[in-house]
Amino acid sequence: MIVFVSGGARSGKSHVAEQCVLQAANGQPCFYVATASVYDGEMAERVARHQAERSPPQASTQWVTLEVPLAIDQAIAQVPDSHAVLLDCLTLWASQVMFNGEEDESEPFSSHEGFSLLVRCVQDARARKITLVIVSNDLNEAPLPNDPVTLRYVEFLQRLHRWLANEADSVIEVVAGQPIEWKAVANS
Amino acid sequence: MQLFIGGACAGKRDVVKQRFPGALWWRLAPGQRLQEVAQVMLPNTPLVVHGVFEWLMATLDSDLSIDEWRAQWREDFPRLHQAATSNNVALVMITSELGRGLVPMARDQRRLRDLSGWFTQDAAAQAIQVWYVRHGLVQALKG
Repeated sequence: MIVFVSGGARSGKSHVAEQCVLQAANGQPCFYVATASVYDGEMAERVARHQAERSPPQASTQWVTLEVPLAIDQAIAQVPDSHAVLLDCLTLWASQVMFNGEEDESEPFSSHEGFSLLVRCVQDARARKITLVIVSNDLNEAPLPNDPVTLRYVEFLQRLHRWLANEADSVIEVVAGQPIEWKAVANS
Repeated sequence: MQLFIGGACAGKRDVVKQRFPGALWWRLAPGQRLQEVAQVMLPNTPLVVHGVFEWLMATLDSDLSIDEWRAQWREDFPRLHQAATSNNVALVMITSELGRGLVPMARDQRRLRDLSGWFTQDAAAQAIQVWYVRHGLVQALKG
């Protein structure tokens, strides 16, 4: 099953997504694909906060964290069949796809390659009955800056979002911690 | 009128194309009065009016105040509807959601955001159906 969860900054989307994963895992270990690259102290705090919220001391479920700024397909490949995995978040991953290599002058991914990578993840998860919950930020409902690089990024991210919303079995918007269901899992 | 609202690259055009395959598309020209769009209507053919953001952006250079612009399009909406009814034209409008996020620092950007919000509210008030497009999915807000 594929679930797409998105919302604004600090909307509570990660928490809603975690609950989806825990429910699907049904007591089995949960997998967490972390796409964030820790590049400063604030980012380290942010990651630590997410980790603490995910695994409070009383938690009975074990989270297995896979840190991958780019190769999300390789991370999903490590998740055993029929398990549940949370990919958090697509927004950062998309920025890394587009801007990877700018600093070290290595060959960056093209947006086409990035798109194919996401498609492969979703196909792999479906084929192996993995519950894949993907979290992303809604960035497109405010005036956008005029610079072409940012516009290209928003276009790329929105292309991923539209594809994912169409492909997913469940699409959830989160506002103030409250899930709004845009697409519900069909009852079988 | 049917109004489709959504953020940048939300999939609004694709949704409208799917729902109104044989429609005539009209991009609002800078400075054009809304009621003038009636002149391009083809009887029995849906008309999709788009380019609202750029059209509003062009008003920033004009001498008219926001209130004067608003009064103008409010006056024009009923005339446009009347023309659509008499030509048996399904009128469709696409507007952008710009209201979320930080208030822009630049005066013109703030004004543009205000204009866009007011235009969308006025269009929604006139519309029989209002749709919100998000990541290519559609939810009815009215009708």
